[in-house]
Amino acid sequence: MKDILDLLQIGGQQDILSSLISLIWLMLLMSFFLYPGLSQKIQLSYMLRDLERKLNRLKAIDDDVKDRTIKTLQTYAPPEIDVKNELEKLLDSFIISPESMDPYGIVYKLEHIVNTWEDRFEEDVVKICKKADNIRVKTLTNLVEVARGVHFIYRFVRHYYLLGKRTSNIYLILQIQMLMPQIMEIANAYRQASYAFIHGQPIGDGIGVLSVARLAYGREKKTYEIAKDTIAHELDFEGRRLILVRASGPGGTVGRPGEGVQKIVEAEGDKVKLIITIDAGLKLEGEESGKVVEGVGVAIGGTGVDKYRIEEIAKAKGTPLYAIVIYESITEAITPMREAIAKAADKVIEKVKQTITEKVESGSTVIVAGIGNSVGIGIT
Amino acid sequence: MFSYKSRSDRIIEPLTHLTCSNCNTENSRPFKEGDYVFKEVDEKCPKCGSVKMLITGIYIEMRQEKERQE
Ligand SMILES: [Zn+2]
Repeated sequence: MKDILDLLQIGGQQDILSSLISLIWLMLLMSFFLYPGLSQKIQLSYMLRDLERKLNRLKAIDDDVKDRTIKTLQTYAPPEIDVKNELEKLLDSFIISPESMDPYGIVYKLEHIVNTWEDRFEEDVVKICKKADNIRVKTLTNLVEVARGVHFIYRFVRHYYLLGKRTSNIYLILQIQMLMPQIMEIANAYRQASYAFIHGQPIGDGIGVLSVARLAYGREKKTYEIAKDTIAHELDFEGRRLILVRASGPGGTVGRPGEGVQKIVEAEGDKVKLIITIDAGLKLEGEESGKVVEGVGVAIGGTGVDKYRIEEIAKAKGTPLYAIVIYESITEAITPMREAIAKAADKVIEKVKQTITEKVESGSTVIVAGIGNSVGIGIT
Repeated sequence: MFSYKSRSDRIIEPLTHLTCSNCNTENSRPFKEGDYVFKEVDEKCPKCGSVKMLITGIYIEMRQEKERQE
């Protein structure tokens, strides 16, 4: 024993404690050299802890949205209905996209599946909320879709967390951890979106609909339903026939603008000289919200079905396609509308009027489609 | 458990902006259940006393966002 201590006392006068400390240091250093997986194990456990914390926050958001959804649905449901149970069923429902091995006709297959899904979802909400009117049902359906979205995000992250933990796969954990900041932002946005749908407040995505509603307001016109949840206004604008297409409000719906525009072009024949679509578009980081930009093409997001329909008919008839986009972030698009975005409607209307007078001769027809969710925006 | 309600997470209630159908005066108030843009409401105009007002906008004002940041 004394020999060992002597050996450790290089330089002579150290006590036992400091010798022990140097020994521990030496062993730690050696363990990192001889056992390279150790540093990775420490890193993994640190990453797992971080992910677990975020997962807990996601769970809290999921529970919060679910609770609010249940409470809101309960106010419209008869007492004999077990809202919680019914909602769970809706949250777990799924949609299977069509087989793309043979892509011919896939857009219409997708449209069919999406329409079936939307109809069924709405029917299920009607079944729960028997006391809600037609307009309210649309908004409640949106609310359930938001709750489903949040629930999916939570399940998705939990899956990667548990899988990574079980298999100690640092690369799996690393990938989900890198995505977490954006995922948390989207989950928070969904939470705020649920508030907007509970109260029926307009959201940023509704700017296209709002612009068209403003344009139609106070003018003499003929209004009719052109497709499910989609209305058309026919009016005269400086000698041009102006047909406005939008989702019917003030319930939350995006309608079927593609089908609407297609029907109008088919009915009008070759008189349609221009199709303008107005929609909220994703801005790049650092860009100003509510900025109005112009371009060509069809400005419609979502599944792509509406976009396809308009492109098809426009190509067949040789009609030019103009697009007006209002810049927003993903959060702004699904949360209550901000002033900068609401104020953009006036600029959009100016641009639409200017484009029509410049590009279309009087006596011709122009279609202007305001794309987006109509929650909180009434029919003018 | 964990609280996710940080300052920036707090929900801001949008304001309802109304325009008088008689004198075009604009004013705003907190959002009320049942409000929607282009709804005609029986509320008294603060200027001329007319009871027909139109909701012309429901949105979060920049002023409200600034207040939250402070
Ligand atoms: Zn007045």
